[in-house]
Amino acid sequence: MKKIIVGENMEKAFGEDAEKVKVLNGVSIEIYEGEFVSVMGPSGSGKSSLMFALSGMDSIDGGKVVYGGKELSGLKENELADLRRSEMGFVFQQPTLLKNLNILDNIILPSVRGNRRKGTKITEKAKALMQKTSISELETRGITQVSGGQLQRAGICRALMNDPKIIFGDEPTGALNSKSANEIMDIFSEINTDGTAVMLVTHDAKVAARTERIMFMLDGKIVSEMRLPKYDRTDVDVRIKKITEKMREIGI
Amino acid sequence: MYFRIIRNDIKKSKIIYIIMTLFVAAAAMLVSLAAVLIINLTGSIETLMKTAETPHFLQMHSGAIDTNRLEEFAQRNENAEEFQIIIFLNIDGAQIVLGDNSLAKNIQDNGFCTQSSSFDYVLDLEGNIINASDGELYVPICYMKDGTTKVGDRALICGKEFTVVGFLRDSQMNSTLAFSKRFIISETDFSALKSSGSIEYLIEFRLNDLSKLSAFETAYTSAGLEANGPTVTYPLFKMINALTDGMMIGVILLVSLLIVAVAFMCIRFTLLAKIEDDYREIGVMKAIGLRVSDIKRIYLAKYAAIAASGCVLGYALSFIFKGMLLENIRLYMGESGSATFASLLGIVGILLVFLAVTVFVNSVLRRFKSLSAAEAVRFGTTQEKVSGARHLTLSKNRLFNTNVFLGVKDVLSKKRLYVTMLAVLVISTFIIVVPQNLYSTISSKDFIKYMGVGECDIRLDIQQADDLPGKAVEISNAMDKDSSISKNVVLTTKAFKLIADDGTAAGMKIELGDHSIFPVNYSGGSAPVKADEIALSALNAKELGKKVGDSVRLVIGGSEKSLTVCGIYSDITNGGKTAKAVFSDESADTMWCLICAKLSDESLVDNKVLEYAEIFDYAKVSDVNEYILQTFGSTVASVKKASVAATAAALIISALITVLFMRMLIAKDRGSVAAMKALGFRGSDITVQYISRSAFVLIASIIVGTVLSNTLGELLAGAVISSFGTSSFSFIINPLNAYLVCPLLIICAVLAATFLGASGAGKTKISEYIKE
Repeated sequence: MKKIIVGENMEKAFGEDAEKVKVLNGVSIEIYEGEFVSVMGPSGSGKSSLMFALSGMDSIDGGKVVYGGKELSGLKENELADLRRSEMGFVFQQPTLLKNLNILDNIILPSVRGNRRKGTKITEKAKALMQKTSISELETRGITQVSGGQLQRAGICRALMNDPKIIFGDEPTGALNSKSANEIMDIFSEINTDGTAVMLVTHDAKVAARTERIMFMLDGKIVSEMRLPKYDRTDVDVRIKKITEKMREIGI
Repeated sequence: MYFRIIRNDIKKSKIIYIIMTLFVAAAAMLVSLAAVLIINLTGSIETLMKTAETPHFLQMHSGAIDTNRLEEFAQRNENAEEFQIIIFLNIDGAQIVLGDNSLAKNIQDNGFCTQSSSFDYVLDLEGNIINASDGELYVPICYMKDGTTKVGDRALICGKEFTVVGFLRDSQMNSTLAFSKRFIISETDFSALKSSGSIEYLIEFRLNDLSKLSAFETAYTSAGLEANGPTVTYPLFKMINALTDGMMIGVILLVSLLIVAVAFMCIRFTLLAKIEDDYREIGVMKAIGLRVSDIKRIYLAKYAAIAASGCVLGYALSFIFKGMLLENIRLYMGESGSATFASLLGIVGILLVFLAVTVFVNSVLRRFKSLSAAEAVRFGTTQEKVSGARHLTLSKNRLFNTNVFLGVKDVLSKKRLYVTMLAVLVISTFIIVVPQNLYSTISSKDFIKYMGVGECDIRLDIQQADDLPGKAVEISNAMDKDSSISKNVVLTTKAFKLIADDGTAAGMKIELGDHSIFPVNYSGGSAPVKADEIALSALNAKELGKKVGDSVRLVIGGSEKSLTVCGIYSDITNGGKTAKAVFSDESADTMWCLICAKLSDESLVDNKVLEYAEIFDYAKVSDVNEYILQTFGSTVASVKKASVAATAAALIISALITVLFMRMLIAKDRGSVAAMKALGFRGSDITVQYISRSAFVLIASIIVGTVLSNTLGELLAGAVISSFGTSSFSFIINPLNAYLVCPLLIICAVLAATFLGASGAGKTKISEYIKE
């Protein structure tokens, strides 16, 4: 399998000299095409920072990130923006949809950037994605008129609009009840089955249990890694158990 | 605790609070200045006219005079308290040389007088009554102001030598709008000069009760006393004295009103944005049981602090500018007796601004009541009603670039927020366009028509000569033969008896001749064409209670005739009470003649003026442009200055407000900007979105502003202009300036400011604003 993103010896710190906190302390990571991975760790362990660094949303102080053969630190702001738009998709914990656009417009937003719409193709694609995530009836609703789970589905549709190679999810189910969370995870599994790589950042063992490779972070370092077979509904409890045991072992 | 919250908050957004404090300061300064100036102006005029003992009734008269008859009238009339006749020795400007400057081109009637004996005193600059010794000359203050002469200069009047020993304040003729100026010399010098000029009499009365003025006027006219010249009364003297500085105060009042409005807009906008920022906190405070009044107090305290510091700053600034603005009033009118009262009122003005700001903030904060704690905690933002723009969807957008679309959509869906910026820009457009239009109007050659003077190139006045009609015909004939003069007309003014509705008789001066050749501006009706028609000046029409279509009764050639009022026009010449008709009359004596001429080639004016002045030495020949320049020149110049200052101020306001708005919007929008950047929008895309918002509001503002300027602004300017004695008014617009240059200036200022304000938007760090 081909590598999509390679992070080598990444370093990132916040704060002034004396109170400097290293959120990434020499992290190295590789993500392959079509992979379904997750990063687990307690608050402040550096998992979100890792995601921001890998996607080029935030710069790093040391080490390097290579995406598709190109080193991110060598790219200009605009090239990074173009890369995120065409190759990556993002789903955040809080719905980051724009307040004054309706659901459909929010979904097509990354596809129409700077261009006049090209025919009806974009809208058709958005409608197909909405169908797939069961929110077809919400097209013209405002974002305050739907539930949190529905918003997150819309966020996923938006992330999929430009056929990304990888989707990043930062605690995508963090704000949802367990039923909605399960449904969202079903969608992520489906996306992965279709061939898109997915990287999730979470502290929820149930979410990590859906993935096939789990990295554990503590104090800015990846301290351990475990692999699981492809997800199957029947063995979910076993997977969760394995993960929690590992967490206890590391001391998370 | 309030202090700590306020301090931290102000520290965080320094620029925004500094700008707001400045606006409050500007508003406070202007309000206080206006109050101080009004009190000082009225006080100074009051003091001047009291010390000078300005006459209540003045009849100018040239020709034969029967002093005994006048004295007898003064003694018999119960209202008359004092009476005197001042001899005004009219001397041709060419015969007056002050220092190195001759008054040859001066259009004022320059005359020489001695200090009066019982009232109507002429004062020096210390406010003392002047007493001129032989060889001493006191010069009207306007010649000091325009730099014609200074103390110590030698002066040559009709070949006789004088020394300029001082300048004088004249409660009658101070203003450039008064057409006569008097110089003061000693009795001996006066007798020596007497033969070198023509004599005009100032027949002056002071009454024991000013409210009996109109009764006295009627008594004077019906007694058939000397009346060959304009009549001026006490209220008119007062008005002319107040006009120049009054206009300045009017402009300051208007601008301060607008600045107060802008300050309010700023406060409303920042407050709304801040509330939105703090929405969750407010909700939490409400949820844990804080009362609305407690929460309100935190915000109120902050704005009260801003208002207080702004007001203190404004008061300090008003002290700096006060001296500058009072200079002119002090120079022309002297100190006012009410300086303490003025300062007191200035403070009251400042307190009013402070009070208004706090009351306003309190009313904006009323929305806390309806804020739902649950909603605030859950969504963290106001659930704004997205109004009007719902049908505007990105998926159906075929017209605009996506960034432009997002900008426009944002404006339309948050109308309440952007209406503030719109209002400020509309006001700015207004402040720029109205003075600009006012300037182009009064500097236009057509404007003289509002003043009761037809639009011609040269005018010749014949007033004191024998056989006036014969001389006028002589000039007219010469002009008919002169190929460089395209048209000319002779207008003869005669006095007639007017029978009022109650049967009493009063005098009326009527200008006879063809009034269609150089028409004045008629506010109603049109120029007289038929023999039974008469047009009245606005002042006359008002006094007689006549309107177009009414009839007036005149005694012409011994018999009573009825004439129909065909038009009403504005006039400031000859005391403003004039009339125009075309009937022919041989019975009444001619008071004066006016010959107006238009040249086929305007560049010849200078030569022609000299030529005619030489041939017809009994006539006063003036270049009408020069006439306008000297009469309104200072007013036009100050309006131009005001217009430039207003434009600069409005541009600075627009730019500041735009930077402020953009900064606030960006602070508010950080989350969505970060989201868009995460989705792959470039920094430049974000900037384009902000510029589109600005541009959209800007275009709407300019359209609304220009329309308002030409409607509401015209009404306002008309009110100012009407203080000149005009009645109807419409802008004479310079389309290049009004429709191209002014909008372009605002566009440049606002777009540059948007660029500056929004440049930071694209640099938002995604990771800081997308929080888990």
